[in-house]
Amino acid sequence: MQGRGAHMDNDDRIAYLSGNPSAPLEPDTRAELDQLRGVLADPAVWVEPPPALEDRIVTAVAQATRGEPVSPAGSATVTTIARQRRPWIPYAVLGVAAAAVLAVVLTFSLAGHAKQSAQYAASLDGTKLAPSASGQVTLTRTTSGWKIRIQGKGLPRRDGGEYYEAWLKNASGVLVPIGTFNQVDDVTLWAGVSPADFPTLTVTRQVAAKDQASSGQVVLLGVTHRTH
Amino acid sequence: MAPVAVDDPGLPARFASGDPDSVRAVYQSYGRLVYAVAYKVLGDAGLAEDATQQTFVQAWRAAATYDPERALGAWLSAIARRAAIDVYRRERRHRGVEDIDTHEGTLVTQPPSVEQIYDVWEVRRALENLPDQDRELIRLQHYGELTHREIAAELAIPVGTVKSRSFRAHKRLAGLLGHLRAEPGATVARIHDAGRNADAGKGRPHGQR
Repeated sequence: MQGRGAHMDNDDRIAYLSGNPSAPLEPDTRAELDQLRGVLADPAVWVEPPPALEDRIVTAVAQATRGEPVSPAGSATVTTIARQRRPWIPYAVLGVAAAAVLAVVLTFSLAGHAKQSAQYAASLDGTKLAPSASGQVTLTRTTSGWKIRIQGKGLPRRDGGEYYEAWLKNASGVLVPIGTFNQVDDVTLWAGVSPADFPTLTVTRQVAAKDQASSGQVVLLGVTHRTH
Repeated sequence: MAPVAVDDPGLPARFASGDPDSVRAVYQSYGRLVYAVAYKVLGDAGLAEDATQQTFVQAWRAAATYDPERALGAWLSAIARRAAIDVYRRERRHRGVEDIDTHEGTLVTQPPSVEQIYDVWEVRRALENLPDQDRELIRLQHYGELTHREIAAELAIPVGTVKSRSFRAHKRLAGLLGHLRAEPGATVARIHDAGRNADAGKGRPHGQR
């Protein structure tokens, strides 16, 4: 993010950063601002230590000053140290270890639940081109990108050089293709952009040709919303 | 000994002299930033607490070697990164690496670079200097991944108001990050060195390589 601040007095760049772009930016500038956006989305920027940590640290420093053993701060570490320091009581160790394992499992289970990947969803409506079509879409963030599942109905299968294509669109009308398919019953697609920035999902009818741009023939349309 | 004020300009010197009351003040000034560094490395709240505590204990033990002319925050940040890596290695030995939560930024094969730590430190510090309303809006937008429309619904204000507030908030944030201006090709260490003298109260990660 070096030089991040060098261009930040430019309103176009601020507008892009604030999610309301007013003008196209140079790729380098956009990449630089995207990097800052990435940092702003980093949990480390937002996590808060527990209030009690301050007293525990002051106590720990006092213990260190007196040459006493310092008690660990984190609960996960307590488990580890308990396991290390009481090997001479095997049955107690087994009991403690079992409880610790249970606690760790519960902790990680709960943590996993609390840290569920962000998910967006939308109902898809048929357009004038396909009024009887409908569907549902869910978008789940993974480390690889956004996993998108479309379950649709009311659209015929397309073959022989004809197919469907799904897109994500942002407020400026920029379209990002997220995959092509023949029928909409149950399709899994992937996207490298966030529905937070590209909230509108469309499905178009396409014909294999030199031009890979959207045909503009939208048959399904929905605006995604965060569900958790 | 008299309590030490958080904004006491003599705080680094008092810490270096071994004044026990300075520990709380140093924590109040830098504890959240140190915790952020630990969390960035470890991706786990409990382990980050442990690493934060170890950072302060190690800093206290090494206080006599601290040069009060250096930025205290930079010194603490370097200790925090090393302490967090130590905690990770210890946990890996005792629990197996697969047991550590690998969600969102957890150290898996390599710790975050000094530059990444620097980014988190600086951005977090800038955010803490924003008005609460600005910070919350930026949090909802970037961390919460909400659209302007969703933020409007969340805060019960018009979308247009969200857009204008968001613009102002990001402009303030950019202003607070303006000290990162650097010549092309400048390194984080150079940026850091350039800012050291002006950073008497709050430091940034030192250019540890």
